[in-house]
Formats: sequence, C-alpha cells, structure tokens
Amino acid sequence: MEVLAYQGLIGLSSAMYLWLISAGLTIIFGVLGVLNFAHGSLFMLGAYLGYTLYGVVGLPFGVAVLASMAAVALLGAAVERGLLRPLYGLDPSYQLLLTFGLVLFLDDLAKLVWGGVFRIPPIPPWLQGSVVLFGRPYPLYNAFLMATGALVGGGLWVLFDRTWWGRAVRATAADRDMAAALGIRTPGVFSSVFMLGSALAALGGALSTPVRPVAPGIGAAMIVQAFIITVIGGLGNLRGAFAGSLLVGVLSSYGTLWFPEFELFFVFAIMAAVLLVRPQGLFAR
Amino acid sequence: MRWVWVPLVVVALLAGASWSAAGPATCALGVPTIKLGVQGAASGPHADYGRQIEMGAQLAIEEINAAGGILGCRLEMRFMDEELRPATAVRNARFLVTEWGAHFLYGVDSSGSAMALGPVLRELDRIQFFTHAATHRLTEELVAQQKIKQIVRVSAPVYQDAVAAWLFRDRRDVRRWATIGADYEYGYATWAIFREQMRRLRPDVEFVGAAWAPFLTTDFSPHIAAVMATNPDGIIATPWAGEAVTLLRQALLQGVFDRIKVWFQAMGGSVDVLEGISQEVKEGRFQGKLYATARYIHNWPNTETNRSFVSRFAKRWNRMPNYSAETTYSAIYITKAAVERARSLQTDRVIAALQGMRIETPAGVRVFRSEDHQFVYAVPAGKVVWDPRYPIAVLGELKVFDPKDYWRWPPFRPLELSK
Repeated sequence: MEVLAYQGLIGLSSAMYLWLISAGLTIIFGVLGVLNFAHGSLFMLGAYLGYTLYGVVGLPFGVAVLASMAAVALLGAAVERGLLRPLYGLDPSYQLLLTFGLVLFLDDLAKLVWGGVFRIPPIPPWLQGSVVLFGRPYPLYNAFLMATGALVGGGLWVLFDRTWWGRAVRATAADRDMAAALGIRTPGVFSSVFMLGSALAALGGALSTPVRPVAPGIGAAMIVQAFIITVIGGLGNLRGAFAGSLLVGVLSSYGTLWFPEFELFFVFAIMAAVLLVRPQGLFAR
Repeated sequence: MRWVWVPLVVVALLAGASWSAAGPATCALGVPTIKLGVQGAASGPHADYGRQIEMGAQLAIEEINAAGGILGCRLEMRFMDEELRPATAVRNARFLVTEWGAHFLYGVDSSGSAMALGPVLRELDRIQFFTHAATHRLTEELVAQQKIKQIVRVSAPVYQDAVAAWLFRDRRDVRRWATIGADYEYGYATWAIFREQMRRLRPDVEFVGAAWAPFLTTDFSPHIAAVMATNPDGIIATPWAGEAVTLLRQALLQGVFDRIKVWFQAMGGSVDVLEGISQEVKEGRFQGKLYATARYIHNWPNTETNRSFVSRFAKRWNRMPNYSAETTYSAIYITKAAVERARSLQTDRVIAALQGMRIETPAGVRVFRSEDHQFVYAVPAGKVVWDPRYPIAVLGELKVFDPKDYWRWPPFRPLELSK
C-alpha cells in the first residue's frame, strides 16, 4: 500500500509539469481557436531563460522564473500580433503551418544561442533535500512543484471566474462578434490570453531546469504529451486539462511500476480508452 | 637581371596556392582530397557526443594534414547531425557518398541508426567506421552472419557494460540487482549480457526489478520510485549523456544513495556525464557508491600516446576528450594505416589491409577481429571520484579486465533480448 501511495505522489509531481504546459495550450485553443504547435518551444525557451538567468547570471531562482515568464509572455504577444492575427480569417491549416514553422525556427534559434549540448544548473539550496512520506524520502522539489501547480490552478480559476477580464475572455470565447459589439476589445483579449498561455509554458520550462536537462528539442517531447492531455480533457477546457494531466501523470507512474514493458504505450492507451468512451474528451460540454 | 626572378616567384606562389587549395600534386591515390563523412548526434540531450565526434575527427585530420596527409593526399571532413534517427542517418550517408563523394564514413551514436545503415553501406560500397553505436548485433549479425564487409567498429560494443558483473563479483553484500534501462536495444542488450555474466559468476544473485525509459525522458522519478520499491542492493543504469545526469540527480533527490550499496552507470565515465555531476561528486553526495565505465576514459591507460592525445585535445578544444572523440580520432588513424598499407581507397583492398591489424591508439592497443570487424581493446571500470588534479570528476580505483573474459567471442550464439 505504501508503495502505491508513494508511486502515486511521484506521478502527481510529474502531472504538474504536464498541467502547466497543457493549461496554456488549452486556454489558447479555447479562446483563440489556435492549435499552437509552438507551445512546446515556448516551454523550451522558458527553460533556457530560466537556466541562463538562474544558472549563469546568478539571479535568485524565483526571480529567474518570473523574469522568464515575463520574457516569454512578451514574445507570445509579438507572435500573436505579428504572425497569427493576419491568419484569423483564413483556413486553420495556415495557423498549423505557421506554428509548426515557429517550432523549427525557435529550436534552431536555441541551438544558435545556447549551443546543441544540454544544460542543467544546480538545484536551489532551499529546494534540496526530502521529507519522509510513506517510509521513503520524497523530494522537496517535487512537493514544491505540486504546490506550484495547485496555486496556478487556483489562480486561473479566480482569474477566469472572478474577474472582469475573465468574463471578457469567456464572452469572447463564446461569441467573438457579440463580445466586440458589447464593447470588449477582442484583439486585446486575444493578445492577453496568448501572453498568459505563453507565460504558463515558460513557468513549466523554467521550473524544470534544475532537475531536467535543457536542450533544443525538449519542447517536442512535451507538446506531444500536452496534446494528449488536452484531447483527453476536451480541447479548450481548463478543468479537462487539469484532470487529464493528473490522469496521465499518475497512471503513467503506475504504468512504470506495474507494466514497465509497456510504459511508452501506456499514455496512448489511456487516450484511446477515453476517446472510445467520450470522443469529445472527458470535460467537453 | 634581377627582374628575371619575378615570374619565378609568381609561379612558385601560384603553385603553393594550388597545393593548399587542392592538395599536394603528389597525392599517390589520384584524388584531390580524401573525403571523410562524419555523423553524430548534434542536437538534444545527447548532443555532446556528436560534438565530441566532430572534435576528435577534426583533431586527427589537422594532425595528419600537417604531417603531409595520407600518401600525400590531404583529408577533408563533412560533419552531419544524425539526430539519433535511423532515417536521418541513412539519408545523411547517402548524401555524403553519392552527392559529396565521401571515401569513408564515421560515427554514429545510435544503435538504431547503425543497424539501419548496415545494409545501405553494402549498397553504397563504402566502409563506415562505427565509433559509438554499441549494439552487439551490428557486428555479430550484420558482419559475422550477413557478411556486410563495409562495417568496421572501432569502439567497444555493449559487451563493455557487462564489465559491471566482473567489477562486483566479489561484493557478496550486493545480491539484489535492478535496472533503470534505456528503452531500446542498447538497454535491453546491456541488461541481458549483464544478467548472463552475473548468473555465471554469482549464481546467488537475484534480478528483482526493471524500469525502462525511452529516449528524451526528462522525468525519471517514476522509474526510480518503481525500481526502489523492489529494494535492490545494486542498480545498473543505461540512460546516457544528459539523461544520465538527470537520472542521477533525480535519484539523489529521492535519497536512493542512502538505501542502495552500488549504482553502476554504464556510460557514466563519459566526459559530459562527469562534468554534469562534478559538483555532487565533489560534495560526496553519491557516498562512494557510484561506479561507471565508458568506451574510453581519458585518465587511462597511462601511456605516452594517451597522455599526449589528452594534452593535445585539451589544448585544441579546452575540453577533456570523451570516448566518442577518442574512438573517432583513432578510427581516422586506423584509416590512415589501412590506406597506407593498401595504397588504395578501394573497399576490398582497405578491408584486406585491416586484417591482422594491431595498432597503438590513445585507448591502448586495438586488435582487429576478422570474424566480425570489431576492434578489441580493454577499458577499465571504476568508482566516480573527485581528484583535484582534474577539472571534472573522474573514474578512480580503476579495474581492468581482459576482454577475453567479458566480451562475446565468435562463433556467436543469438542473445535473448527482452525487457
């Protein structure tokens, strides 16, 4: 029983990375209708900036994470305004092509700036160590990740359900023309939503740097899992992304324990099972 | 009268320029340059291997060219990113031979890429000197069985990882073994050969757990937790490069080194891994329980050839040489020896010249095994330690075993590969 509980807790911390990246992906899709292939690259940029500001420049870890989020959010605004906006009225395939092109561009840009080799800075001293849970040492860093993921979840709920901005976003997502007619500046809403999604991807990336390697291409691995999660939860549904992240993170962890031979297959099996039962995703209305 | 010298000087300068641009007029092989096509992983967490392959090749080429080339012919290199993808490796090889005109090929990092390249090399009829890909099947199946003569491996194959069985055979306190394996052929082969050797040396050991992590895994926490649930005494781990660093750091976070007796990181003697964990080694966080090997380590053997190589490499690149650098460097010198012996670039004649070759290289004496075109040499295993004489962690308390003991030898019987 203790083994199961511990493995589940490990899965929960993995789920938090997935949650941070899939939250941004699903928010952008839900409001803008853009399936952003480059979202994984924003995760990668957040990781590189986090590494540079914390591991090279020497800023405190928390400051480095916030600065990475801000920088990637600004980049997100530039991408939305400069590249995506002209494509809103066109066939969605143009958006897919553009964001896929961005993946290649950002990966090569990262290679040019940071080189091809992996980077991994030390863990902040205050996040080293462990606490004993179920008779085994549980990493403090993983506990920190779970707390951060929960905070982000709560923050997003407040933002979307309890603020004027959140109501404007929901109105825009429901009917763009009607929202504009009611005086909501929908272009501004689009930009701010894209910035928020980008910042969330960067948060996931920057938080990953002390325990995961940063290298060109890491975004590609993350975006595949994020897509799976958004499909499981229902495209564009934030609660679905949260539940999907927990499902994939925790069940994958149990898969490693119970079916090590099929670990790679396990995530896809979860998605296939959900799609068979609820093709629109678990939380889609 | 003195103006008579002017045209002579001009002619001499032009001759010099043409020598430097197109190679010496005395190239005995009738080609402008000998072209070497090189591949390695140049992106992602494994990218340092490709970079080291490139650095090792570059150093060998610069040295050989400075000494007059091979039979008077200058060497020229083109490096390409293999991306650890078999399709890319095959595409690169085809380009390098048919478009660019490579006479010899070098690399690659991935076993999958190596297996895909094998049949293509026969079609292209170009020798590829494999300098990292480790699967035993490359030489045992593709050369010894299928007779693809164009395959030559200079680096130690996956047999090297089984040295762990010999390293720990006298540790009676280490009875329960588990693996955190790379989820592809290299990981399966290492686990299979290790278990085979261990069963022979220590019938009392148990193999209690396994977890498999695919390429580009960034979160090993579930794998570590799953394996630790089986209470192993020893863990043999095969993720490599940046993934090995990540795995070891995440293992520290879960307090693994408080609970196990030994951890063998198969290719943990690689420079990029040692660089990545240097701080933790310096702080003693692995508690002297971390062991490793590699396909060459820069602080062994203590020969003039090796010391000189390490010194020149460090001076040229400001890094310590990784094994993929040494194996590629040595492969180019092996090419030189074979071509000089064959006095030809033709595949058959160069392969004939390799027969019986015994050559001094930085890693020690390498001996060509004709049955499977594998160069045989010994690489030690040891404990990962901090030695103030070096800028990074190194392997210490080195133990060297005779390859006759732990390598596989022809005639080869198929190895059961399973997770």
